[in-house]
Amino acid sequence: MSFVVGTALLAAVTAVACSLPGVFVVLRKGSMLVDAIAHAVLPGIVVGYALTQNFDSPVLIIGSALAGLVVVLGTEWLGRTGLITGDAPQGLIFPALFSIGVILVSTNFANIHLDTHMVLAGDLNLAAYRQLEIGGISVGPQYLYVMIIVLLVNIVFLTLTYQKLKITTFDPEFASTLGIATKWVNTAFMFIVSVTVTTAFNAAGAVLIIALMVAPPATAYLLSNTLPMMLTLTVVVAVIGAFAGFGIAYFLNAATSAAMAVFYGLLFIVTVGVERLLRRRSQTRSNALMSLDRELS
Amino acid sequence: MTTLACSSTNLSVAYRAEPVLRNVDFQVPVGSVMGIVGPNGAGKSTLMKALLGLVKPLTGQARFFDQPLAKVRQRVGYMPQSTSVDWDFPTTVADVVTMGTYGALGWLRRPGKRERRLAFTALEQTGMADFATRQIGELSGGQRQRVFLARTLVQNPDLYFLDEPFQGIDAKSQQAMVEVLHTLRQAGKTVVIVHHDLATLVDYCDHVTLLNRRIVASGQVAETFTRSAIATTYEVSEDQAAFLEFAS
Repeated sequence: MSFVVGTALLAAVTAVACSLPGVFVVLRKGSMLVDAIAHAVLPGIVVGYALTQNFDSPVLIIGSALAGLVVVLGTEWLGRTGLITGDAPQGLIFPALFSIGVILVSTNFANIHLDTHMVLAGDLNLAAYRQLEIGGISVGPQYLYVMIIVLLVNIVFLTLTYQKLKITTFDPEFASTLGIATKWVNTAFMFIVSVTVTTAFNAAGAVLIIALMVAPPATAYLLSNTLPMMLTLTVVVAVIGAFAGFGIAYFLNAATSAAMAVFYGLLFIVTVGVERLLRRRSQTRSNALMSLDRELS
Repeated sequence: MTTLACSSTNLSVAYRAEPVLRNVDFQVPVGSVMGIVGPNGAGKSTLMKALLGLVKPLTGQARFFDQPLAKVRQRVGYMPQSTSVDWDFPTTVADVVTMGTYGALGWLRRPGKRERRLAFTALEQTGMADFATRQIGELSGGQRQRVFLARTLVQNPDLYFLDEPFQGIDAKSQQAMVEVLHTLRQAGKTVVIVHHDLATLVDYCDHVTLLNRRIVASGQVAETFTRSAIATTYEVSEDQAAFLEFAS
């Protein structure tokens, strides 16, 4: 597989793997929690790398994902104490964890080769550098296969928990009265988000990952009336944005993940504009429907 | 002694340092329609949530049909206030009502023909069948309440907790709601309603609980819903209580 094709595929698979759990992140209004997780996984990554000397090691991924969970559970716990409100608990926990990561990196503790740029924005091209060879033939970047596994894990998880996730997202209190273990559904979901963030870290870094996770579902949200429709549109937007972003970066010789993030942003703005226009047109229709309802009643 | 659909002993709830409910002994006889009334901030919704385990009580516990809630969950239905969810959520009316069947489905089964039929029947009962495929954001306030009621009906519980079902609804929705209440009563179901309109309470309920952080009075409407009890509950004089009874 040529390097260009392999990297473009990596961009697309990473985008889809991130955006699928992103659908529920957006619906749960937890977008900034992804940002917190993406920063908090850094110490996990550094320590994991020190132990395994391999960014793709499952030990590193699970360990870092647990560090991400510390933010989620710590935020919930601090929030429950009622001592601080809003998103302050989040703001207290993730900078501390991120700082530990930064200190570890800067002290050469792990002999790790991560510069600031890499931590914040990732580098898709660098991530795609190590090729997987089978029988002497390159079958694409090694990292592509890691992301494919994460994508499959996400698909299986979302398929198995679809109903529970939907109802705990829409109406958590009602879900608990049905006997659904909302707390466990929530924790399992945030763990999956955390795993996804950790693995995508190489490609997108702590800051840009939120664009991959949130922008495609946020765009799809504007256009969707049902959840299956939102999931489908999210995948479509994620793939289009990945290839377009990759293409732009390729021709401008720029950073891939940044180009993807910019393209997603543009796509979102265009969608907002189109949706506004459509809504103005359909306003007349829905007004008519409403008055029809009133007449019927 | 009549059997109780729901009872609590010594139930107290606090939000942080602020006590909301104190030592509530709440009893709902099987087959009754119990209204909970009281001023704003009296803890009416909190009482419901504490009974259902949605808010952790400081002291006390609740039992349902003489069992802990975990054992009889399928027999207890809850209709939260419709303002508690995001109505822009990408889902349809039929889909929301089908959610009422999720508790009985377990982990792997998906709602199928049977569940969809149950949802449709519940929508017909609440007069919302024509709206089944609408996105939930396109509904009026009263229609939203009817969708939530249908979602509770689909569970077919024996005990219904309805939190402000008449809040901000149109005449048609109110009529649909009242018809469902009558059907439930005839079927021998037990209903607990948080209600804010003292003037219509007697039309819907045969039992009443007057609540203001503690239970002021509770029992059959005829004996309990007195002017002096209302005055104590709303912390007003009896003349003002008379005004509340008719003007609210």
